[in-house]
Order: sequence, then C-alpha cells, then structure tokens
Amino acid sequence: MKLVLYLHLHQPWRLARFRYLDLGSGKPYFDIPRNLEIFRGIAERSYRPTLDRLLRLLAEDPEFRVSLSITGTFLEQAALAAPDVVERLRAAVDTRRVAIVAETYFHSLAFLLPPPELEEEVTAHLRRLRELFGVRPAVLRMTELVYSDEIAQFASQLGFRGVLAEGWEGALGPRSPNYLYESAAPGVRVLLRNYRLSDDVAFRFSARDWSEYPLTAEKYARWLASTPGDVLGLFLDFETFGEHHPASTGILDFLSALPRAVRSEPTLRWATVEEALQGPLAGGFHVAEPMSWADERRDLGAWLGNDMQRSAFDAAKKLGTLVRLADEPSLWTDWRRLLTSDHFYYMYVSGKDSDTEVHRYFSSYSNPYDAYANYMNALNDLRRRCLAAIPPTEPDG
Amino acid sequence: MVGWEYPPFHTGGLGVHCQELSRELGRLGHHVIFLTPFDLPYDGAPGVEFLSPGRAGNDEIARISAYGVPEFHRAAFQTLVEAYNDWVGRLEVPGANVVHVHDWFGTEGGARLARRLRVPFVMTMHSTELDRSLGQPHVPIFERERFGIRRADALIAVSRHLAEQLVRRYGAARDKVHVVYNAVRPADEPPRPARRGDLVLFLGRLTAMKGPDTFLRAAARIADDFPEIRFAIAGEGPEYPHLVRLSAELGIGDRVLFFGKVSEEERAALLRDAAVYVLPSVVEPFGISALEAMAAGVPTIVSKTSGVAEVIDATFQVDFWDIDEFASRIAELLEYPPLREEMGEHGRTEATNESWADRARETVEIYRELLRGGR
Repeated sequence: MKLVLYLHLHQPWRLARFRYLDLGSGKPYFDIPRNLEIFRGIAERSYRPTLDRLLRLLAEDPEFRVSLSITGTFLEQAALAAPDVVERLRAAVDTRRVAIVAETYFHSLAFLLPPPELEEEVTAHLRRLRELFGVRPAVLRMTELVYSDEIAQFASQLGFRGVLAEGWEGALGPRSPNYLYESAAPGVRVLLRNYRLSDDVAFRFSARDWSEYPLTAEKYARWLASTPGDVLGLFLDFETFGEHHPASTGILDFLSALPRAVRSEPTLRWATVEEALQGPLAGGFHVAEPMSWADERRDLGAWLGNDMQRSAFDAAKKLGTLVRLADEPSLWTDWRRLLTSDHFYYMYVSGKDSDTEVHRYFSSYSNPYDAYANYMNALNDLRRRCLAAIPPTEPDG
Repeated sequence: MVGWEYPPFHTGGLGVHCQELSRELGRLGHHVIFLTPFDLPYDGAPGVEFLSPGRAGNDEIARISAYGVPEFHRAAFQTLVEAYNDWVGRLEVPGANVVHVHDWFGTEGGARLARRLRVPFVMTMHSTELDRSLGQPHVPIFERERFGIRRADALIAVSRHLAEQLVRRYGAARDKVHVVYNAVRPADEPPRPARRGDLVLFLGRLTAMKGPDTFLRAAARIADDFPEIRFAIAGEGPEYPHLVRLSAELGIGDRVLFFGKVSEEERAALLRDAAVYVLPSVVEPFGISALEAMAAGVPTIVSKTSGVAEVIDATFQVDFWDIDEFASRIAELLEYPPLREEMGEHGRTEATNESWADRARETVEIYRELLRGGR
C-alpha cells in the first residue's frame, strides 16, 4: 500500500474594511500589514516548526515522502513576512522526495470563469513554481479539491498526469477511495483522499471526547496498514500541524513519530503524488457536477451556497470582462486577489451545524454580512477604476 | 412585582419587559401581584393582578398620580416616589414568595416589604441613571438605585454589558448578578414581502442617549446617492427642536420625516415600509425596538455597546461615534439586495428564536435558586 501524505499551504489576501464611503477614495483594498502579521503568527506556530520536523524526517528516513501544494498568494506573503519559510520549502523540494502540486495561483474558483482565466492562473502558478523551486508538477489540484470531469479534461490539455479529488462515496458509490482511478480525460489519473483517515488527524486528533483519543502514531499506522487498497491519500491542510491543533496537543510529535511507526508496518510504503500515479487502475471515476472536500455535502455550497455568495461571485465574474479590456497590472492583481475563494467562504451564513463552526473558525469577519458588504464595495470600486482605465473606442473611419 | 409603568401606559423597554414577564409568569402558573403607583386600565392577563395605592385606597398617592407623571426632577415627583415606597413598604401581601423590583422607583419600599415578609429581594436593572444622564446622575434617583443594588439578593441585568456596569460602576457583587435578555412577542403577521421599503428608520425617544443626531448626520452623507429613500424619525423627546434644525442645516430637510410618538399600529406600518432600521444609541442597555425590527424582518444596524448586539448575529454593529460607518452600513444595505434579504431573514429567525416564555423561565430559575439558598 502506497501512503501519500499531501499537505496544502495557503493564505488569502484579506480585505481591509472598505466602506461604501471609501468608494473612489483610492484607499487600498487589502490590509497588507494585518495579513503579514497573521502570516508571521502562523509561521511561528505551524509553518516553521512543522517544516523543521519534515526536513529532519527527510534527512533521517530515506523512505519518507511528502507532497505539497503552495498557493501563489501564500508565496507572496511568505516572501514578505517570513522568507525563511520559503527557504525551508526549497530545502524540502531539493531532497527530491517532496513533490509539488500545481493549482490556481490565487486559490480561486477560476474553473467557473470563462476561458482563458483558469489556464492563465494555473500557468502563472507553474511559472512561479519553476522560478522558486525549479520544478514542473505532474499533478494538479483545484481549489478546495474541487473536481469534475471537465477539470480532468482541462488537466489533460495542460499536460498533467494526475488530479487530486475527494474520495467521497457520493461520487464513488460502493467503491473504495484507496485505489487509483482513471479520469474522464485520457492519460489523467485520479488520486483520492481517504477523508476518514485524513480527518482522524485533521479534525479529531485533539478531540478529548473522541473514543480513540489519544491518537498515537503506532495506532494510526496500524489503522493504515489494516486498510485494504493500493493507495492511501492522506490529504491535509498544512496548518493541521501547530495551528488547528496547537503544538501542546502533541500533533508535531505525532508527525515526527509517524515514519518510524510506518516503518514497522511492512505493507506500508511512502509515495509522493507523482510516484503514486504508477500502478494498476481500478476503473473509471466520473463526476459530472463539481465536488469539493468541504462541508458535509462536498458541493460548492461553502462558497456559492447563498444569494450573497452567488451575487458576489457573479459580479466578480462580470468584472473580468472590464479588467481584460482595461488590461492594467494593478487592476489584474486586485481583481485576481478578489477571486480567491476565501472571500466567498467568509460570506457563508451560519446554521446550527458543525460546518458553521468550521466556517467561523476560518473567517476574518465577525459575520457573513460584513464580509459580503465589504467585498462588494471593493469590487464596485474596482469596476470604477476599470471603467476609468478603458481607453475610449476609436470612432470608425 | 414592584413596578412603575405598564403597557399601554409606558415609554420604553421597562414597561414591555414588566408586562411580558408578568404575563409569562402567569402562564407558567405563578401569581403576579403587580404594584404601580398609578390606577390605570392596564392590559391584564391571567394570573396578573394590579395593585395601586388608588385601588388599595390610598387617597394621597391617588391624588398625586392623577395629575399624570410629573417631570422627574420636580418636587411633586419626589413626593410621589416617596409615597409609593411608603405604601409598598407597608403593604399586606400574604403568601408572597419573592419581591421583585424593576429599576430604582420602588427599591426602598420593596426592600422593606421583602424584609418584613422574610422573602428574597430581586432587582432587575433595565438601564442605569449614570447612563441615562450621560454621567451626571440626579442624586435622589442614583441613591435609590444604589440602595436597591446593595440590598438585592439577586440582580438581573438585561444585557451582559449592563451587568458588567453594575459590577464596575455600582460595586455589585459579581456572583449576585444575572443576565436575562429581552425578547419579542411572536408576530401575528405573515413575513413581510420581499420588496424593499423606502424608509430608513429611527425609532425611539429623542434624547442624546439614543443618538438621533448620529442618524441624521449619517443620512446626510448618503442622501444624494439614494434619492428615492426617506429618513424617518419616530418618537418624541427633548432633542426634537434640535433635530429639526439639524436636518435643515444638513440640507436634508426635505428627506427627513418626523412622525412624533407612534401607536402600535403606526409602528408596525413603519416597519413594513422600512428598508433599514438604525439604532445608533450612545448608551443602550438592551434596545428592544431593534429586536422588534429584526423580528419584522427589517435588516438592522445597532451600536456595538447595545445589549441587543449580544444576542443577534445577523446585524451590523457600529461604534456609536462612527458616523461614516453608520452611513456606509445604511448605504450597503440599500445598495445590495442579497445582503438585505439574507440579513432580514436570518435576523428574524434569531430575534424570534427565544421567547418571553424562555425569559420568564430563566427568571423563575433565579427565584428558585434564592429560595433553595434558604435565605
């Protein structure tokens, strides 16, 4: 059984309060100092200590493998707030036992926008990865692990050999997520996330009321070894280590102890996402409607579930035409930073369910109404700037 | 229950709270004897009995109160308060288990009554004299308030914010202070239609504490952007002449409607026509009118320090001094229909989620705790 540990690194550019009365004022949309402060905090608690542990594991255990996806906005913030984090990432990639996964530079929902937006964003990400790490990933993931047949087609056109997706029974039916599947696009394979085993670490690790608490590396490795299949996808948010679960819960020690525990299970073998693409196929994996790794329903409801979210996304989508016409670097950057999916996530309206708690935890606003109003103001301001920048059409003749 | 005002003869949240609490206590099977200095035709309810010096045969108070409620600082008012407390203190109410006073009016009489009956003495604070006077309290009122807070076996505040003040500014013992919020009565009317009204509404007494001035200044900043919108002020009070002058000075005289004091029906009609409700109070221990607006499905903007902000999530909360922010929030609600609809819908759900019956049960729990404590 191949064991694929894949960790996702992302930070959005959060907006400053941009009031209705700020429209046309020239005030910047994004609160750079606050974003960098947040980044430094998480770097201290999670990025730095976790990368140090991973580097040590890579040095100690020649079998250990890990895969990472790192958004463009994360890399921008890291360069400004904690350049040493980029250095650690480079050192990890240099071991050649760390694979990088490609995605949209801005962690956006560009797959819902008219072409060529998606291709431009993925290409921009690939360019950045080549500059920084000297690699060209073979595996693509969409924001929030969104997957559909269409996305597999797109991946195929851009020369990717694999795509990541949620191993959800809504799409799998009775089949197991622990195998390699063939996508709807020729030459593109699908690696699935085993969400139960992934969430044991991501969500349940520090839950004292969990019947399996405390989770030790040995116990976890036994579970992994006793799981039938060819490939086990443990796909986690990088911040699981040190941020969602603080170091005091023992999560970092759990990570450090995991390779040794895995070594004592003879059936388990680490693999990067790229190495995991080799092997027998268990059949076709077809998904007509986009599905994600978020919330109980795994649809796009987390970002486009209510009228505020949909109207905000539609407005951003429409604005794309003007941005393209105006074609100025500052307008492009602001627009694309506004496409980052987190902005729509913040507009999710709570119910009394477990998803709500998760949304709240990740929100930078006190409520979804603040998030929406603020976003719309910024977007409307950007529209004004685009209209002002578009050159008047030449009269015919 | 040692009270003062009671609907329909009331000016604020105190009267509403007393009525709803008494009515729900009655419904839960308790017997409420509601004391007030005035012999008026109140809205009765099963289990609620009114007792006033007039009805009890105390001619002197009946004569004073017959002239209506005098201004708080007048000597006649002080005479009325003293006579009321004196009457309460001497009252015979066999079988009473708890004496519960509301605000400062009857603290002295209530405390004496409770001591004589050997029952717990509970006090609910709906607002404080320090807040109402913006820091310059009328001493006799302040003294009665402090007396009640000192003597009460349990203190109830209508918000956490107010509870904190009782501890910090009045020296109340923290373990005596409880929070019981206000609520709204479920609406008889069906949910409002989705269309946007064309009023931005301020509803409350026209005093500096309620921030009507902020409302007008915020309105002036955005009035030109929304020519179809009118800004409505419903309520009466000492600030009225100033507000009329101010709206003219701000150049929005033709955009502001002053409705004066409104009846229940007029209030409901205003809420039906409202696109946005604004509660810009400098000080607002609770803000029951905002909760009523939310229950009617009107998106609402409230001061951060208001008690209602503690219980409702689907609302914009603004620092009371931040006129630009109030203006922006009003404009955002007018400008973005999905925002108005989502906030209106979820505000209604939240506002009606907990009822007066829940509040009455919480109050009874406080009584029970005291009675168990074997005072």
